[in-house]
Amino acid sequence: MSYVLAKSQNDDIHKAGECGGAVTSILKYLLDEEIVDGVLALSPQNDVYDATPTFITESDDLLSAAGSYHCAPTMIGDLVQKYLFDKKVAITVKPCDMRAVEELIIRHKINRDNIYLIGLNCGGTVSPVSGRKMIDLFYEADPDDVVSEEIDKGKFIIELADGSEEAVKIHDLEEEGYGRRNNCQRCDVKIPRKANIACGNWGAEDGWTFIEINDEKGQELIDGAKKAGILETKNPAQGAIDGREKVEGIMIKMAKKVQDATYPTVSEMDEWSRCISCYACRDVCPICWCFENCELNKPYFKDEQNIPPTPIAFQGVRLSHMSFSCVDCGQCDDVCPMDIPVSLIFDKLQKKYFNRTGYVAGVSDDIKPPLYSPEKTEL
Amino acid sequence: MLEIKHTLCPSCSVGCGLNVIINNGEIVGTFPYKRHPVNAGKNCLNGRNSIECYQNKFDKAIVSKSETDIEKAIEEVSKELGSADSSNITIICSGNNDMEEIEAIKEFGESKNFNLAFYADNLKDFADVASYDEVAGASKVFVIGDLLYENPLIGRRIVHAKQNGAEIYALGKAEESVTFNIADETSNSTVEEFLENVKGNIDDDSVIVFNYVDSQDDLDKIEALNCKCLPVFSKSNSKGTLGIIEPKSLDEMLELLDNTKVLLVFNDDIADELEYDFSKISKIISFAPCSNKTTEISDIVIPTKTWLEKEGSFVNAMGETQTFTAAVESDALSEIEIIEKLNG
Amino acid sequence: MADDLKIVGLLCNWCCYGGADTAGTARMQYSPNIRIIRVMCSGRINPSMIFKAFQDGADGVFVGGCHIGDCHYDAGNYKWSRRSKIVEDILEEFGIEKERFRHEWISASEGEKFQKTMEEFHNTLTKLGPLEL
Repeated sequence: MSYVLAKSQNDDIHKAGECGGAVTSILKYLLDEEIVDGVLALSPQNDVYDATPTFITESDDLLSAAGSYHCAPTMIGDLVQKYLFDKKVAITVKPCDMRAVEELIIRHKINRDNIYLIGLNCGGTVSPVSGRKMIDLFYEADPDDVVSEEIDKGKFIIELADGSEEAVKIHDLEEEGYGRRNNCQRCDVKIPRKANIACGNWGAEDGWTFIEINDEKGQELIDGAKKAGILETKNPAQGAIDGREKVEGIMIKMAKKVQDATYPTVSEMDEWSRCISCYACRDVCPICWCFENCELNKPYFKDEQNIPPTPIAFQGVRLSHMSFSCVDCGQCDDVCPMDIPVSLIFDKLQKKYFNRTGYVAGVSDDIKPPLYSPEKTEL
Repeated sequence: MLEIKHTLCPSCSVGCGLNVIINNGEIVGTFPYKRHPVNAGKNCLNGRNSIECYQNKFDKAIVSKSETDIEKAIEEVSKELGSADSSNITIICSGNNDMEEIEAIKEFGESKNFNLAFYADNLKDFADVASYDEVAGASKVFVIGDLLYENPLIGRRIVHAKQNGAEIYALGKAEESVTFNIADETSNSTVEEFLENVKGNIDDDSVIVFNYVDSQDDLDKIEALNCKCLPVFSKSNSKGTLGIIEPKSLDEMLELLDNTKVLLVFNDDIADELEYDFSKISKIISFAPCSNKTTEISDIVIPTKTWLEKEGSFVNAMGETQTFTAAVESDALSEIEIIEKLNG
Repeated sequence: MADDLKIVGLLCNWCCYGGADTAGTARMQYSPNIRIIRVMCSGRINPSMIFKAFQDGADGVFVGGCHIGDCHYDAGNYKWSRRSKIVEDILEEFGIEKERFRHEWISASEGEKFQKTMEEFHNTLTKLGPLEL
């Protein structure tokens, strides 16, 4: 593991990208040198709230995907395993994406040799619809005028078309029920260290990206991009490294506080009574990959007459299948038509499992979680 | 090549956004469309399954149960239309068609003097309807029908209303209606009795949300309550179609079918919706993208484009016009192209 | 005499089922509330089976396997022992007392232990009363 500061040598990318455009440059290098068949990255469709995973095969198209999108809480695990498994791809991943990919690699659904993971540090994401409402309520701006947004120093910052900026403390927004998604507020994996490289602006000086190189493949990536003349790097000062560490530490501390406040509420949850058995939570889950073979589809569990389903026989079964591998991506919360905070119980169970085994889903080394290993150990 | 494109959910009149995943030119799955103001990426099971219609679409026309070339089948249709008196020919159009198609179907029917029938769940158009936000902000919500299960993204607004302190009164046909799970008061009575019972409870911020009534009289009673209301239809563009074509009540539909010798069904599953002995009709001709109960009993089936293969617009239950573009290219004919061919 | 508390017992073929048999042939008395399902190995039991039993009206679920080290299939009981922890963790979150779920290692010769365990478990459940989900 080592650290570098990097920025693009390409003027267009330097302008379009965030923090010197290092990520876009690395992606361009991978495409131009034909190391990968394509890049899976977020690219906005209609506006900044509408970034969608986009498969890019021409390096000229990369500029459209440059920039960071905090209002696009997407998940790419399913897309990679279902549709890109036979391709060489570079994927930009926030920590929960990386964790999902890691869990799918363990399950032999994704081949590690086929993918490059370009990690992006993440302080959290905001749901687009409630994010727009939040901007409407707490900012002096029209949500439609926002051209980019950023989370920095505890503030959610928007930039408008005229170049002006507005910032509100995330803490204040979250007090009012807005701000980052609930799962992001309690997420304690902020830097994707299982990705080949983890990039971000924490600790970086203006115009540079701070990159943590996590493995050999990551080192080759940086060396290759430098050699191709598209990336410029320098060593970060100790102050930068410390600064980054401090940001991460504060974020994790804040997350733990939210965890302590929310986990105890799980056993009191009465939201299960709203469940309409639509299976959206299961179908969107990046870890659940059995699809039509899911145990919940078996005649002994399928109970269409009984709505809401008995929680223990619906979520209980799902929890027993995969809660120890829950990456807390919050997709189940996002897609629930009844707004049931599904992810909270899964995340809590993963934490309980961590306390018993030390296994953090998608972060600990890729051994089989002890639950399903033949090891002769008791918990 | 992997792509994700925006479209609308065609499963009911709520008007949810839906992203479809396209791999190598084929639609292979759905993806949450979190930016969409109606549903914020939440889709019910019907919505997520809606692409099955594309995946199971007809690739040939069917005449008398055997697959035929589409041009020949259209000729057959023309022959049938020429053989009967126009007063015995009925066109059924449906909320599954987009605005542009409805206009074309109407013009076609009128120019030929055919009967034009449109069935909107035995409901009718209300000029002023409550918006989804108004449902969520209501002080009391009177729910007729199992909205939570059948139209979950309106159901979600009812849940929001409850979270904001509203009282929920629910009427359902079934004893175990899913909406009852969140309701303060529940009933299995007739719509008439329900309205009579809740009348005194209605205040300025109340909203009536309904997806069925027992009779046309009930609609007048709802209107007379002077309370905000929101009829929710079973098809994506029923509300839009209502603005163009006067709907028929259940009784009127059955009467019209009795006088019909040739029935043209434009993308509707009337055989599933109405209890009627369709064998009394000598020819049934269906224009539909994929198999349903009506195409199964049809003498001629002409395949049409699914909504994923064309562009158009739907009007959702609260009256908003929403446009969509083609997610994939296709060689199939649109209904408008078929009508042009029928017009010769 | 018997109350109608329902106990579902999942017993491993090689050990605990034998233990129950030993108790039976020796005419040891214990509450007749248990309904025994014989499985080939405790390692074959999924947490979802326990949940299914509770969903369908069991007031308590008992799992009996071979002592650690005695598994007929080498490590099946280790697997079960780890899963049982997950079961406890999950039950707790849905308001089902973890005392309603019990597992023990009982060998084929331990008829008395089976009897004693059943009596204890029945007493525990009597105190807790019927399960309401």
